This record gives sequence, structure tokens and C-alpha cells, in this order.
Amino acid sequence: MERDVFTFIVGGKAGEGVKKSGSVAASILADLGRNIFQMDDYQSLIRGGHNFSVVSSSTGPITSHHLRAQLIVNLDERSYHLHRQEVAEDGILVYNSDVMSEAEGIGLPMTSEAKKFPRPDLRVGVASITVLAAALGLDMDYVEEVIAREYKRDLENNVAYASRIFELARPKIGGRFPLERGNATGKAIYGAEAIALGALAGGLDLYMAYPMTPSSPILHFLAAQGRPFGVHALHLESEVSVANMAVGASFAGARVAVGSSGGGFALMAEAFSLAGMMEAPVLFILASRSSPSTGVPTYTEQADLKFAISVGHGDFPRVVACPGTVEEAFYLTADLLGLAWRFQSPVILLTEKHLGESAMNVSLDPFRATWAEPVLHSDVGGGPLSTPSLGALEPAQEDGYRRYRFTDSGVSPLLFPPSSQVIKWNSYEHDEYGITTDQPEPTARMHEKRYRKRQAIIEHLRGTKTVNVYGEGGPVIFSYGSSTMSVLEALRTGGIQATVVQPTYLEPFPVWELERYRGSNPIVVEQSVAGQFSALIREQAGVSSDRFIRRYDGRPFEPSELAQQIKEMM
Amino acid sequence: MEDLGTYAENTWCPGCGNFAILNAFKAAIGRLEEQGIGRDRIVLVAGIGQHGKIFDYMNVSGFYGLHGRSMASAQAIKLANPDLKVVDFVGDGDALGEGLEHTIFAAKRNADITMILHDNGVYALTTGQYTPTSARGYRGPSTPTGTVEDPIHPLPLMLEAGASFIARGYSGELEHLTDLMVQAVLHEGFSFVDVLQPCVTFNNTWREYNQLVEITDRTATTPEEARAIFSRTDRLPIGVLYRRDDVPFHRRLYEDFNPVRDKEPREARQRRVAQFLGVPEEPEREYKGPRERP
Repeated sequence: MERDVFTFIVGGKAGEGVKKSGSVAASILADLGRNIFQMDDYQSLIRGGHNFSVVSSSTGPITSHHLRAQLIVNLDERSYHLHRQEVAEDGILVYNSDVMSEAEGIGLPMTSEAKKFPRPDLRVGVASITVLAAALGLDMDYVEEVIAREYKRDLENNVAYASRIFELARPKIGGRFPLERGNATGKAIYGAEAIALGALAGGLDLYMAYPMTPSSPILHFLAAQGRPFGVHALHLESEVSVANMAVGASFAGARVAVGSSGGGFALMAEAFSLAGMMEAPVLFILASRSSPSTGVPTYTEQADLKFAISVGHGDFPRVVACPGTVEEAFYLTADLLGLAWRFQSPVILLTEKHLGESAMNVSLDPFRATWAEPVLHSDVGGGPLSTPSLGALEPAQEDGYRRYRFTDSGVSPLLFPPSSQVIKWNSYEHDEYGITTDQPEPTARMHEKRYRKRQAIIEHLRGTKTVNVYGEGGPVIFSYGSSTMSVLEALRTGGIQATVVQPTYLEPFPVWELERYRGSNPIVVEQSVAGQFSALIREQAGVSSDRFIRRYDGRPFEPSELAQQIKEMM
Repeated sequence: MEDLGTYAENTWCPGCGNFAILNAFKAAIGRLEEQGIGRDRIVLVAGIGQHGKIFDYMNVSGFYGLHGRSMASAQAIKLANPDLKVVDFVGDGDALGEGLEHTIFAAKRNADITMILHDNGVYALTTGQYTPTSARGYRGPSTPTGTVEDPIHPLPLMLEAGASFIARGYSGELEHLTDLMVQAVLHEGFSFVDVLQPCVTFNNTWREYNQLVEITDRTATTPEEARAIFSRTDRLPIGVLYRRDDVPFHRRLYEDFNPVRDKEPREARQRRVAQFLGVPEEPEREYKGPRERP
């Protein structure tokens, strides 16, 4: 069966409400019961420049935007020139005839009509979604409904403006795309929202961050939506503060997460080690952008993989995992918050701009999210657990709470203040009570205790899903993170049969699931010039390859192009 | 009073000004307990430096944080559980050097924590380098011909940053210092106690301080008055030098809410997420166990 992908692109200057138009277009296509995928492309500036939003939709599954569009609405001249090549064979190119002279396509006087109302710059976005509704054969009553839902501010003027655009557009494009309805369910959400909601479902209490693209949407979402959940999002003075505060909050018993991108996460590295030493449960969210350094701040890349796996000084266990889809981002965030608390370790949710700032409709079941629970001292009791204590303790304290009690799993039961027992968390090497030591034997034993947790984590992960495998037969394709969505869409677009292997966990690396792919010479798809992911699967799981597809221009893979590249390698 | 000490060996030099801070805090805990603040509610936070060893020497719960960063961690302990009384012992190199931003922001926010500055004008643990409060001309291993920088004055700095309680104490006045600590902990808001604390090994200021220190009971209530007190150089007044009442950070954020104590149970939270997502909820829905991924 032919896939019925319909793509809408809206392009314009920053400040013209392009992203909002994309979201509204997505909601219009979702009203038709279609599955949608929206990607926002924007530059690091406030006004001017070039922004665009792509919304692709299908009655079947869809996991990527397509750049070949049936309908393109350009609010300014630059967008027109940048997007005109992307119009599909049967597609329509619409331009703002007030900002450029006669051109190929359909010109509409978007600005001069907007000037009849206050704040015309902000209004042109309404034109784009009105054009979409007209082209889909929807009526003005429906457009009014959408405006009432999505553009509540200045509703009357927006409706009046839309009516005018609708009248002008209908004779030219009305009903050109009678799309098949679908039966998709679920709300369209961004990856960043899925992460935030996953953290909420998993028991989050506090979120801390310093603004940095592309992690900021998580902060913004939790700041705006967290309060009814009893969750507070704090914008603090620096990432250094964020990470040190997070460890402090976990000491007092709060489920805490922090978020940043490369440069900010680099500042958290010192406190990441602190969390390792103190055995503090903290969820770190690392939303990668195009790096190194300031890089291309509003674009995407997957080059923080090795950084995430090895961040921090010294040896200590941590968990790093990277969601492949918006849906997985929700559950994985809750899982990781749970792992942080179960194993009292710093944990990293690694993701990218492309996942965080892309939206799709997903069906989520919050009741299936993992809930972060500590192993509590009161559950275990004060008796000896397994290994005898260090000795050299005051007799009165022999039976007291030991924060860093030696156990087989390496996990010591937690206790939170206020408590009659003394609870000591220490950044220095310490004994079982948490008192500083520099003696060789206790130092070695405490190292071993902490490191035993890595094996305990591996044993736990062995019983859970750590690798997603999509499809069967054909070539083996390895990918991870948001590239997985691109690969899956490329396979659908190109009609390619393949087996897609996506490790969700990257540290500890699920070699037990991946060893079977040794000798498969997989095609490895990732967004990194150095091929960090292909190196990881080779080094850790012995899966070598000489077939690589890499992109590192800051843009996510485009499914048609990627399908072509995959076919060339088969 | 039960002994507040531990089995940790004390490695401060004999005559160190830190002993008075340790003993004053032990006495302060006793007095706070008399006023209904049990030691179980007190959390001792420390940064890295000779001062930080107080963490090992006190048998109370605590958090031995990073150099300069303990001010950040201390604020978060209070935010997570506002029932706790958080006392952060910091060094001048620690809190005014590496950690200056956190110190200023804690004061700016009027975070309800107590900061006790072991102010000896020297990095003692790393063998005697100059600190942000060292006098110009201080000679140490990193400035053999004397530092060419002027010192930071912590009292006016904290005043301008927004601290609502500013005190100065002295290691040579144990009773007085104890009283300052008690008042600082009882103060709702950011309380700062600058403790003049001689380092007998690298910066022995006992004699100078004994001549200059003067107990005062004059407490400024306006910044202008406070500036006049802080600018004195002929004498070093000690006491609560400035205080004002203001709503502390955690109350500005969430009034009487306590994130740890008032947390909703799992089912209520997940129901709320379901409502947000528009997921139809079955009223008797039970946890189904870990899901299987596709």
C-alpha cells in the first residue's frame, strides 16, 4: 500500500510565530486522526533570520519529518528561496506577496491584510494555518474553532484576519488535499515534554537548571506545569550550582533532576563525581546540540556520547541511557530516576535537540512508569547486612546508622534527616559512617563497595529491555537516540526491509544483548563525525563494521536521503 | 548534654581558631535544644579546607560538600526539607573565592540557612597561600613578594548581596560566638557570621585581634547604619551588626509547602500525569508492573 505522507512547511523570520504555526498545523492534522511528526528548525537569535517548522503526517506510523512538502507557506522572501526546491511534484508553494514581487506559486497579501489590525508581524502566522485548513478542504467554522483553541489572545482580530485570508486562498487552493482520516490516538508532545512528564510520573520533586538550548524546554515546561504536581523548577545561578544543589536536595530525600547541554554539563562534571562519591541519586539530563564548545547552538548532533559515558574524575558507577523515540523518552526518564534511587548513583539521560524539540503524537500510560523508591534503613533495620564493619569505631556507635554500610550489592540503605541517627554524606573518601579517611584499607574497601554497584546494575538491567530491535531480515542497522526515528522512517519511505538495533542503555553497555550481532557488519547510522557510537559498539560488544552513515551538519537525517544512502550500502 | 564529638582524630594545630568555632557550635546546639530545636533537625554542611574538618568532629548529620560549592548544596537541603536547620561552615578561600557566586546568590535569595565563615585570611590546608580576605602585601608560597590585590570585605559584600542577618564573631570570645550562632540559626532568612579566626601556623592574628576586637550590642537596621559600622578600621566591633526581617527563599517559592514531607503518593501523581495527557483513567487502576517495550 502506498503511504499517504502529507507534509506542511511554514517558514519565516524569528518573531513571526513560526513554531506556533507548526504546532497549530500539527493539531489540525491530528484532528484528522493522523499521526504527526513536527520538527522545528530555528537559529540562535530573537528576531529576523530564518525559522521553519515541518509537520509531516500519515494515517500509519510516522517517526520523522519529511522535507519534500505538499504545502509550503513562506511568510518572508528568504523562506521562499530556501524552501522552493522542497515542494513536492503535486505540491503548492504559497508566498507572502507583500514582501516579494511576482514569483512562482500562489501569492497572498499576508502582511497588507495583517496591517489592518494591530501588531501585524505577530499575525502572519495565523495566515499560514488558515491556508493549510483551506487546502485540506476544511471550512471557516473549523478555522474559527482552531483559532479559539490556539490563538486565544486577541481572538476577534485573529478570526477577522483569518476570514480574509481564507476568502483569498480558497479559490486558489481550496480542498486541494483531501486527506484520508486516520485513527491515531494520543496527544502530540515534544520530546522535552515527554522527558518532563516521565520525570513527573516517576516521582520527581525538584528540577534545577540554568537556561541552555536545547535543554531549556524541559525547564520551561516544568516551571509552567509543575506546580499542580507539587514539583518546582528552579532556574539557578549556574550549572555548577545546579549540580551541587541537586546532590544537596537528594541528601534531604528529594527526587531531583537537572538538565543542561554540553557546555553546561561540562560545568556539572565536578559535582557529577561528587554524586558518585556521596552515592547521591541524581538524574542528569544531557540534551546534546551541535558541538564542540558553543557549537551550532540550536541544531542537533550526537557527539556527547563519550563525554556522557566518561564524565567525572575517578572510578565510580553510573548509568547512561538514550531514548530512541518520544514515547521511549517518557518511560526511560522514569526508569532512570528509579535507577538513580535504587542504586544511589548519578544517572544520565542522554538525548539530542532533535528528540527534545520534535513533537509527535504518542499514547502514554503513566501508570506504567517506574516510581523512584529508595532502599530505606527502616526497611532493612540496623543489624549487620553482610560484611563486617571496619572496626575502630566507638562502641556506642557500633549499632548506629551507617550511611556507607558495606553490602553485597554495594547499595547501603538510606535514611533522611531529621533523624535521631547521624547521617553523614562525605565528598572525601570515608568509612562506613561517612567520616573522612585516607587509610589504604578503608579506601580500597569503599572503592570496592561503590564499584560493586556496577555489577548490581548490570544484573538488574539484564532483566529489563535495554536494546530495541525493530524489523527482521535484511541488513542489520545500528543506531541510537533520535537517529533511530529517522532510520525507521527511512525504511518505511524507501520500502526497505532491515533489522534495526537500538541500544537504549549505553553504560553499562548491554553487551549480553549485542554479542549476537558480531560479524553482521552492520550499517551504523549516527550524527557524529568521529563515529563515537560505532567505536562504542566495536570496543564494548565486538561488533565491527565498515559501513557508516554519518551526518554532522547540525541537521537531522531526512528520510528520503537516508533511505537512498542505506540502499547504496546494501 | 550528650557528647557531640566523634572518634575522628582532630588534626587542627594547637591554638587554632577553629577550636573555638567547634566548641561554640557544640554549646550552641545545647542552647538550641533548650529552645526546642533538636539536633536531629540540624544539618551541618561544610566546604573543603581546614574549616571543613568540623564535619568529622561533630556527631550531627551533615554534608561535606565541594570546595566553594557547599553554599549551593546547603540551600538545596533547606529547599528539599524546610523543616531542617542548615548551618554551613565555610572558609574564606572556599566561600569568597571559588564559591563566591553561590555565597552572593544565597544572600540575594535570602535563603534560610546560616553561613559561618572561618575567616583566617589564608589557605591553610594547601599550605599558606593568600585568600580573598588576605591583606595586600600578604606573603605566601604563591605570592612570595606579597599579593598586589586588595582584600574583599565580607560584611559589606553580604549586605549589598541581600543578607538579612550579618554578624561578626571572634574565636577569642567563645561565649559571645556561641550566642551569635544561636541567634543566627534562629533567624529566619540568610544569616551570615564572619568569624575572625587566627591561623597559628600561617597567619597568626591573635595579638592584633585581641587589641582591635570590641563587643557591641548595637545592631543596625538600615543599610546606611550597617555601612557605617562595617567601615570602621580603628576597632573591630563584634556582635549582630545588621538584621532585618524578610521572607526567606523557600517561603517565596512555596510558602509552607515541604517537597519531601508533602509529596503526593505514587497513584495520585500518576493520575495527575494521566489527566494532563488526557489518558482515560480507570478508577480502580492498579500498577501493572514493569511494561514491556515493543
